Amino acid sequence: MLDLLAYDFMQRSLLAAAMVGGLCSVIGVFVVLRGLAFVGAGTSHAAFAGVALGYLMEWPPLLLAIVFGLATVWITGWVEERGRMKLDVSIGILYTTTMALGILFIGLMKSYNAEVYGYLFGSVLSVTPEELQIIGALSVLVLGLLLLFAKELYFIAFDQEMAEASGVPARQIFFLLLTLVALTVVVSLKTVGAILVFAMILIPASTAYQLTHSLAALTLYSAAIGILTAVAGVLISALWDVPSGPAIVLLATTLFFISVFFSPKRVRRTRLVHSH
Amino acid sequence: MSDPHEPIIRFDHASFGFPGLIALKDISLDIYEGEFVGVIGPNGSGKTTLCRAVLGLLAPVEGHLHIFDCACDELRCHHRAKIGYLPQKGVVDRNFPVTVLETVMMGRYGALGLFKRPGRKDHDIALEALAQVGMDSHKDNALGHLSGGQQQRVFIARALAQQPKVLILDEPTTGLDITTQHNVIELVQHLHDELKLTVLLITHDINMIRSRVDRLVLLKTRLFAAAPPAEVLKPEILHQVYGKDLVITEKDLVIVEDYHHHH
Repeated sequence: MLDLLAYDFMQRSLLAAAMVGGLCSVIGVFVVLRGLAFVGAGTSHAAFAGVALGYLMEWPPLLLAIVFGLATVWITGWVEERGRMKLDVSIGILYTTTMALGILFIGLMKSYNAEVYGYLFGSVLSVTPEELQIIGALSVLVLGLLLLFAKELYFIAFDQEMAEASGVPARQIFFLLLTLVALTVVVSLKTVGAILVFAMILIPASTAYQLTHSLAALTLYSAAIGILTAVAGVLISALWDVPSGPAIVLLATTLFFISVFFSPKRVRRTRLVHSH
Repeated sequence: MSDPHEPIIRFDHASFGFPGLIALKDISLDIYEGEFVGVIGPNGSGKTTLCRAVLGLLAPVEGHLHIFDCACDELRCHHRAKIGYLPQKGVVDRNFPVTVLETVMMGRYGALGLFKRPGRKDHDIALEALAQVGMDSHKDNALGHLSGGQQQRVFIARALAQQPKVLILDEPTTGLDITTQHNVIELVQHLHDELKLTVLLITHDINMIRSRVDRLVLLKTRLFAAAPPAEVLKPEILHQVYGKDLVITEKDLVIVEDYHHHH
């Protein structure tokens, strides 16, 4: 295993996985608490449609992924704010529409393009130094903004109307959160892929949710779980020659079920049942 | 201190809602600093709309609403921070993974403003607010592990941590047992007396608050009365809003007639 770590590509992959794992799991805390899980899924498919259009038109794929991702979250946020439609319905429609567009764009390409599929399933072992720089820059940007607005983000996740009533600019913070979700998805596309990025956002935060009753601890646990599973997943992928995305996600899922079983919340419930 | 004769909240022929669906119509009402006001009325009478208006979450579609010294639709964040609010039960996810102290600290966020981290002073204010509601020994407990009455106290502490001038409570006793209901109302009265807070208390329980409030505001889309309880709790006034089944007993309890006959 130590031989593996000597390779440049391996070092790049581990670094990319650690950054994406950390980023997804921290924003995942706010996504899970604010009830935006489905938005994460919708955004990743929209971003993939952007990538596909980029390859079709020979435009920069990541730029179009950002445009598609942002358009999806902003439309979703706007619809939720208006209260015109339930969030799961509007995101469900956008989700399938953008996926249809993605498939259409791939169909319109004259030749088979393996790189596009890399964005769908993730290929962390082929991350280039330039991609690593983009991942690094966007990670710093997103984590920096999360840190800067952490107290407002926690408050709107808890109770958006209460936050607004007590003087927090809640609407703007909500749209900031949606924007950061879209950026996180785009950052993670190359590493874990459009289909599995959603799991990276959802699972570490949900695992941490089982283990603590404190917001601060929740965020720290989630970040630790996200980074550890991403790095371990890449190592497993390299050692046993299995795809990296599924290795990361299945490892995270295993931890999730273990945490559900050993959750202090579960133990407490069981005790309550027995005492009655 | 502002002039005690100047209202801190002034509704001036204000209507709220949407065209075709008016929740409150032509409300003219002044609320003065330090008043304890009970807001009563049947379901759907616009009580919560009145709260949301005072919180600056709704601008009037007609007329004007002034809070402190600014119009409601111009209400800036630092003004909003001066209004503490206890929302109706059920609005908040009570299993949210948050400790009691973390919950109360959120009350500081609006007053602190963006980009500032809560410091020692905010921490002390939050602890003091918890002490004021008698929950300081629970500061590290999970919010979800507390009883309904204890959670209400924590949410009141969160409102107090804003160091508000006005405290708005939307049906704070709903879903609590009768002793706990009494304790929560006692606490509100105590805070009003000690901290000289202006209190707007929305409730269905007229009998519980009638001896405590300075004025009762009676709503049913329109404002039917805004006067001391003795002037509002008269059959001819209550019947306009609640119908003729409502009676007032010899002991001044407001009850529904059917119940009166059976017992």
